[in-house]
Amino acid sequence: MIGPLGYLAARSTRNRLVRQLRRLRTPRYAVALLLGLAYLWYVGVRQRPASGPAEVSPETVQLLAAAGVTAVLLWTWIFGAERRALAFSRAEVTWLFPAPLTRRQLIQYKLLRGQFVILFNVFLWTFLLSGGWAGTGPWRRAGAIWILLTTLALHRLGVALLRSSLLEHGSAAIRTRAVTLALVAIAVTVVIVDAADAVPALRGAWDLGLEEFLAAAHDVAIRPVPSALLLPGRLLVRPMLAESWAEWGRAILPPVAILAAHYVWVVRSDAAFEESAAAAALARHRTGRRSGRAPGFTARPIPRLAPTGWPAGALLWKNLAAVVRTGRARGAVLGLAAVAFAVVALSLGGGSTTVLEIVGWLAAMWAGFLLILGPQWVRNDLRTDLSRLALLRSYPLRGRTVVGAETAGSTAVLTALQLGLIGIAYLAFWGGEVREPSPELRTAALAAAVVFLPAINFLAMLIQNGAALLLPAWVRVGPDRPIGVEALGQNMLVMSGFVVILAALLLAPAAVAGGVFVGLEPVSGWWAVAPAAVGALVITALEARVILSWLGRVFETTDPSSVPPVESL
Amino acid sequence: MIEAEGLHKVYGDLAAVQDLSFRVLPGEVVGLVGPNGAGKTTTLHCLAGITVPTRGRIRVAGHDLAADPVSAKSALAFVPDEPHLFEYLTVEEHLRFVARLYRVPDVAQRIPGVLRELELEDRRGALPEELSRGMKQKLAIACALIHDPKALLLDEPLTGLDPVGIRRMKATILDHARAGAAVILSSHLLHLVEEICTRVLIMRRGRVLAFGTIAEIVAARPDLAGRRLEDVFLGLVGQDGAEEG
Repeated sequence: MIGPLGYLAARSTRNRLVRQLRRLRTPRYAVALLLGLAYLWYVGVRQRPASGPAEVSPETVQLLAAAGVTAVLLWTWIFGAERRALAFSRAEVTWLFPAPLTRRQLIQYKLLRGQFVILFNVFLWTFLLSGGWAGTGPWRRAGAIWILLTTLALHRLGVALLRSSLLEHGSAAIRTRAVTLALVAIAVTVVIVDAADAVPALRGAWDLGLEEFLAAAHDVAIRPVPSALLLPGRLLVRPMLAESWAEWGRAILPPVAILAAHYVWVVRSDAAFEESAAAAALARHRTGRRSGRAPGFTARPIPRLAPTGWPAGALLWKNLAAVVRTGRARGAVLGLAAVAFAVVALSLGGGSTTVLEIVGWLAAMWAGFLLILGPQWVRNDLRTDLSRLALLRSYPLRGRTVVGAETAGSTAVLTALQLGLIGIAYLAFWGGEVREPSPELRTAALAAAVVFLPAINFLAMLIQNGAALLLPAWVRVGPDRPIGVEALGQNMLVMSGFVVILAALLLAPAAVAGGVFVGLEPVSGWWAVAPAAVGALVITALEARVILSWLGRVFETTDPSSVPPVESL
Repeated sequence: MIEAEGLHKVYGDLAAVQDLSFRVLPGEVVGLVGPNGAGKTTTLHCLAGITVPTRGRIRVAGHDLAADPVSAKSALAFVPDEPHLFEYLTVEEHLRFVARLYRVPDVAQRIPGVLRELELEDRRGALPEELSRGMKQKLAIACALIHDPKALLLDEPLTGLDPVGIRRMKATILDHARAGAAVILSSHLLHLVEEICTRVLIMRRGRVLAFGTIAEIVAARPDLAGRRLEDVFLGLVGQDGAEEG
């Protein structure tokens, strides 16, 4: 007989599916689904290679996948946010915590509930990996991926319970978990010592090329310590690469054992997690967050809002206040300032030019990555405020004004972050006396970034906010995006769609910029980059204006009831 | 003044509000009552410009809400049943934020009076999570009143307030009506509606059952003569109606 928790999980899943199917009656959701399926078909079927990349052997693929899984496991231990993994919804806290249920039952329910996301991602990954080097049947692969994702989810929950127990019981818990903690500490120490030996060999291979680097990495990986460290990851990914049912049958046994061990570990945990979970649910309810992390807002002083001026400036001020009053902004500013200070100190003190060059390239690369990743990470805009759509709609402002002001908030934060990184890169290259790229090109690029980055970021944020406005039931409303390995497939899909749209929108500005640069470069050299950026800026501004007007109309006609409550997403 | 003419709102197959027409004059306090699911909140959302009506016309302080939403919204204030506050703005910053949106240049002079009126003086630097449910409700009301609206829409405004807060809130609503604001108040607290409302609009299943003073409504139903609003309400919507929705 199905228990009440099984009934709750089954009916919730069924109702969620029905609701999502009903949404397809709305044309915009139907069109979005068709576009998504077309994209999947293009990536999964049209682009599927007849055979795997010739230069990458199955062993290397297995090594890379195992390294990825190991990195995820380590990340969970080092940065695992227990409140995320333990978060129950407010309704669950209200109804289940006072109910006559054991902790074990609550944990089992949580595991069951997490299967919805896992199964969706199993389908997605099975489809995306359905060709090439991983040439095994989709059912075998689906089974292997399901075990992998479920094990990772269990691992995250187990770590969260352990951390919760440590917080709850303090030194007593440390004593009872002494063996586990000691093993982790020893493992980390051994790995660090061993890794230090391998660095010179890897560095030398890197200079020779990717193929040599992969071969060197493989040699390092078969040494005893890395091999032991990567063993769980290798075992978990091996069934995904099996070529036959017989091979799969042999390869699947260790992952099943690992999964079973994780299950026992988690359900036998006696961690009193209720308080953490309840706090997470409350925080999520208050802030409209999905993640369940504590809000962490402090009434830090901010510049006072002038009583007169552009009314929508109040929205921009509010969204910047939201960032300033979290620890994240403070951490980012302090981090950037510390790196900048170190770079200047190294430059003036005659420090290693190699170090400065590496810092420069890292900072420049991160600024570049943020063009794509930043709009998904920085969310102090309509995505955070959409749960208050009714309130926003009551303000005496035009729809396009609200959308513009909201988007400007996240644009300002992202641009400041990128310019900080670019500034560090500029200083580091200058201090490191780097010749390529030339100082003239670097200065011109810096000027172009100052001119063009706000525009490109605004366009990118408009896409993100537009998606939230057009498809509020599909986009995670709140300051955080979906997290965890089990949501990786969804994130990739969303990011791919975002990149395609952004690239399409940047075609015209790029064409204009290219034309201006080619025309002026013979006369003004690399400095032609700046007028080219201005040209691109004008086209981008025109595009943004058109999109803003359209989204403004969408904002004015979107019914607040179409935005699902945060916890039901 | 608030005017609704032929207001109609449909969600899929459900007609939440049907052919609603009424006018609330400056100085009037109209009570919007009805069983759960009667269409009260949908009506208030349409009047506040939050929800676009399927058809019909709304005018606030002489401004057509569809044609000139910014002017219409500038003249009105809406207090929802749940106080939606920004968790990263303090009490005083909420007031400054709303004042800027509604172009209130003398906000600095107004803030002390508003905070005193709603007993939030010593909480001016607090974030919402440091406030009780009642204090949050008071702050939401303070934000609504900071720009002296000509039209005031209140959805269950007394939820979460203590007895002193309820008394002050009633006085505040009446003060604003006396100052010339047109007020619509939705509430299930029928004794409150009876006490402070000049007229009552009773809704059921999106339609108007009755609109007028209690005396006018009773005049149409002689069998309810001499009864309190609660009895009149139950007599009009019936026991079944009181449980619908």
